[in-house]
Amino acid sequence: MGALDRRHPAAVFVYFAGVMAAAMLTLNPALLLVSIGGGALLLLIRGAARLSSLLFSLALFAAMTLINPLFNHNGVTVLFVLGDSPVTLEALLYGAASAAMVTAVLMWCRSLSGVLGEDKLLYLFARVSPRIALVVSMALRGAGLFSAQARRVRRSQKGLGLYKEDNIVDTIRSDARVFSILVTWALENGVITADSMAARGYGTARRTAFSRYRFTRGDAMLLAAGLLLTGLSLWGVLSGTLDVSYYPAVRWTAMTPLGWAALIGYGILALWPALLEGGERLKWRFLRSKI
Amino acid sequence: MIVIRSERLRRVIRRVVPFIVVPALALSGAVLAERGQYALVISLACAASFLLFAAGFERKRTGARRLVVVSVMTALAVAGRFIPLVKPVAALTIISALYLGGEAGFLTGALTALISNFYFGQGPWTAFQMTAWGLVGLIAGLLAAPLRKNRALLLLYGLLSGIGYSMIMDVWTVLWYGRGFSLPLYLAALATALPHTALYAASNVIYLALFARPFGEKLERLRVKYGI
Repeated sequence: MGALDRRHPAAVFVYFAGVMAAAMLTLNPALLLVSIGGGALLLLIRGAARLSSLLFSLALFAAMTLINPLFNHNGVTVLFVLGDSPVTLEALLYGAASAAMVTAVLMWCRSLSGVLGEDKLLYLFARVSPRIALVVSMALRGAGLFSAQARRVRRSQKGLGLYKEDNIVDTIRSDARVFSILVTWALENGVITADSMAARGYGTARRTAFSRYRFTRGDAMLLAAGLLLTGLSLWGVLSGTLDVSYYPAVRWTAMTPLGWAALIGYGILALWPALLEGGERLKWRFLRSKI
Repeated sequence: MIVIRSERLRRVIRRVVPFIVVPALALSGAVLAERGQYALVISLACAASFLLFAAGFERKRTGARRLVVVSVMTALAVAGRFIPLVKPVAALTIISALYLGGEAGFLTGALTALISNFYFGQGPWTAFQMTAWGLVGLIAGLLAAPLRKNRALLLLYGLLSGIGYSMIMDVWTVLWYGRGFSLPLYLAALATALPHTALYAASNVIYLALFARPFGEKLERLRVKYGI
């Protein structure tokens, strides 16, 4: 359990959505580097990724960088000519920036799916659409339920002498029969479940949900900080002060105070989860009893 | 809680969203080469698929039953996605659409993408996967009568839906990678995805050939026995 796992799902979701939205909307290399750094650090600290899997991300980044100059021949600085078409520095840099954006968002997604598991996502979205939440939770339950029932069916088929494993054809046939029985059972069981739900008044009133998440002061702080810093970053990104134009030649827009503020704000936004988790781990290490 | 009460509005959404709104979104992504537009396209596609969800189920008594049968089919499809290489997701989506209707097919496909991505990785592509598999189901539901009668036609639909799935997912690849839609990049993405496309199409045909009849019998039986 890291610091983020104990935060309210809504606060965590808004925070991560903000980090990713700002990264998705820009091709500014500084901002993207900060984003990748924060995302990678968080993955490492939480133990969600090893250094080797981050190296794989690096390889993916390189591959994505190289695709763009092969298809895009804009730009004034020709590096070399491949076949008939020129490969330009600008196209390469643009490819690198796109790849950095994709890599950053992928890293944050990976962290997000670790922090917000299926139970928390269901908790969040059950309010938006209880029906979808119901189908999703029943389908998730299906995995365990069906495998248990499959074992039961196989045992009874064996007991009846209908299940043979003498050769591969027999095994496949027997398993196909078990599967067929299982599907029939699952469908009928589903209908009976639905009737039982209807008998208990499903769908007659608003659905309430039990929740073990409480919105605390820490969550409010995380949410407020997330919204504030995301707002600042998005303001900077959308105002165009962080724009970099790659074609025909790479040209930076002159940095304004707003640009700096947005960049620093995004830096805090991207590094905060890592600091939060890292601080927690350090505390554990130092407060451990030394007796 | 989003439930659209007006039957007319639901019918309009069911027709307009998949056949007009989603293609229009893809086209506008192609035309507008402005900054950040593809992020807008992704979020709008996601919003549109949720609108379809809401339009999917009426407040009738059979609603809960159909909902549950959909969740069973979804669970089977999610489990099926763990089979290496040949995956029965689209085939099961098509089968549920044939016997439970287009909306049920849409839900099965879309929710399978949503749920199985908890294991295979969530990301912005989830919205596109949901749309792609959802549309495979929805269109199968619209063509249900001829597809149920003619087996060759059904297998052909499976083949085409494998190709269609790949084409929709490659729109995502291009929108995500470049800013704005570029046709050469799209064609390149389609070409590199060719082995996958062939695999999707082949596994759809294989599973439809294997499953269509037995599953059809089971779902038909359910309809006779419980009146779904």
